[in-house]
Amino acid sequence: MLSPYGLDIIESCLTCKMRSDRIFCDLPTTALQSFEAIKYATAYPKGAVLFVEGQAPRGIFVLCKGRVKLSICSTDGKTLILKIAEPGEVLGLSATVSGKPYELTAETIDPCQVNFVKREDFLRFLKDNSEACFKVAEQLSEKYNNACHEVRSLGLSHSASEKLAKLLLEWSSKNGEAAKQEPRVKLALTHEEIAQMIGTSRETVTRLFADLKKRQIVQAKGSTLVIRNKIALKALATNS
Amino acid sequence: MESATQQSCLDCALRPDRVFCDLPDNVLAALDAMKSKIVCPRGTVLFREGQPAKGVFVLCEGRARLSVCSESGKRLTLHIAAPGEVLGLSAALSGGPYEVSAELLDNAQVAMVKRKDLLAFLREHREACLHVVDLLSQDLHIAYDRVRSVGLGRTRRPRTSSV
Repeated sequence: MLSPYGLDIIESCLTCKMRSDRIFCDLPTTALQSFEAIKYATAYPKGAVLFVEGQAPRGIFVLCKGRVKLSICSTDGKTLILKIAEPGEVLGLSATVSGKPYELTAETIDPCQVNFVKREDFLRFLKDNSEACFKVAEQLSEKYNNACHEVRSLGLSHSASEKLAKLLLEWSSKNGEAAKQEPRVKLALTHEEIAQMIGTSRETVTRLFADLKKRQIVQAKGSTLVIRNKIALKALATNS
Repeated sequence: MESATQQSCLDCALRPDRVFCDLPDNVLAALDAMKSKIVCPRGTVLFREGQPAKGVFVLCEGRARLSVCSESGKRLTLHIAAPGEVLGLSAALSGGPYEVSAELLDNAQVAMVKRKDLLAFLREHREACLHVVDLLSQDLHIAYDRVRSVGLGRTRRPRTSSV
C-alpha cells in the first residue's frame, strides 16, 4: 500500500525489524505487547510540530522513522536547537513522567513515523513493566548527558568558530567516518539552523564557513562537507 | 572522607520528604545493606567530570555544587544540589563517565552506592526504578533550564519588570 509522505509505516512493534537496535524498543515480548495496546502509530509530514515548549504534557512520542528538531525559544523569538533526534528516541519523556510542561519544542525535519502514547497509559505501563522503567531511566540519562554537553558548549566556549569546529567534529565522528583522514559530513541543516545550534547568527555561520573553506580546512561538495584538515579543526575547537 | 556510624535509612526521619528515599521498608532494607555512609568535610570533591562512574552518592545532609568545566579550566555551575538528591545518577546508569563535577559546599553526610549494586537493585525493585526515573526527569528539567539561561540569556518565565 502506498503510504503517506513515502513512509513505510511499521504498524506493529512486535514485527519491527529495527527494535533490537533501539534502546527503548528492545523490550521483552510481554512488555512489547502491552505497549502495542496503548500506542497510536501516526505519520507526520516534514515541518509538523509534535509539541510546543510550555504545553501541558499529553504523552510521549517514540520516533520510529525520520528526524525531529528539538529546540527551546526565548520570549523574543530567539531559537536554540538542542538536538536533532534520530529514530529510536523517545520525545517528551521527562515532561510526561514529571507532569511538568514540555521543556522543548519538537518539529519534524523529515516525514516521520511516530508512535504516540497517552500520559496516563504510559505511567501505568511503567509501573507494570520494570524493564521498560529501566530503559526509560537509560534514555533520560542519555538526555541529561546531552543537556550537560550543551551547557558546556554554550557556556564555556569562547567564540562561535570554536563552537562550529566542535559541532563539525562531533558530526564527523558519526557513521564510521571518525577513523578516516578526511571525514565527510552530510550537512542536513541550513546555515540558519546551524546558527541556532551554536547560539549565533546565520551571518556568522556563513562567514565562518567561508573562512574555513578559504583556509582549506573544509571543502564543500554539494551538501557534503569534506574535512580536509582535521588537526586544524581540532585546534580551532580547543581554542589553541 | 571518613566512615560514619552506619545509621540505618529505616530510622531516618527525613525519608518521607525525599523522592529517592521514600521507599517501602523491604526495599529500603535492601538499599541499606549495600550503601556505605560517609562523612565528608566541606570542599570534598565527590567525583570529577570525565572520571568513569563508580556509583551514586545520595546526599543525606549538606549541599553540593554540580559544575562543568572547559579545557581551559573555566567552570560553570549547573546546579546546587540539596539534601535528598542523588548525584551521579545518569552517568552510573549510562555507564559513561561523570558529566559533571560534584563538590560539597557544607560538611556533609553521603550514602554511596556502587554502580553494579545500584543496577541490580533497580532491576529488582520497580518502586526504586520509578523514583530514579522521577529524579532523572527533575535533573533534566534543571539542565534544560540551565541551557535556556546560558544559551538564550533568560529563563522561560519572563523576569518581573522592575518598577
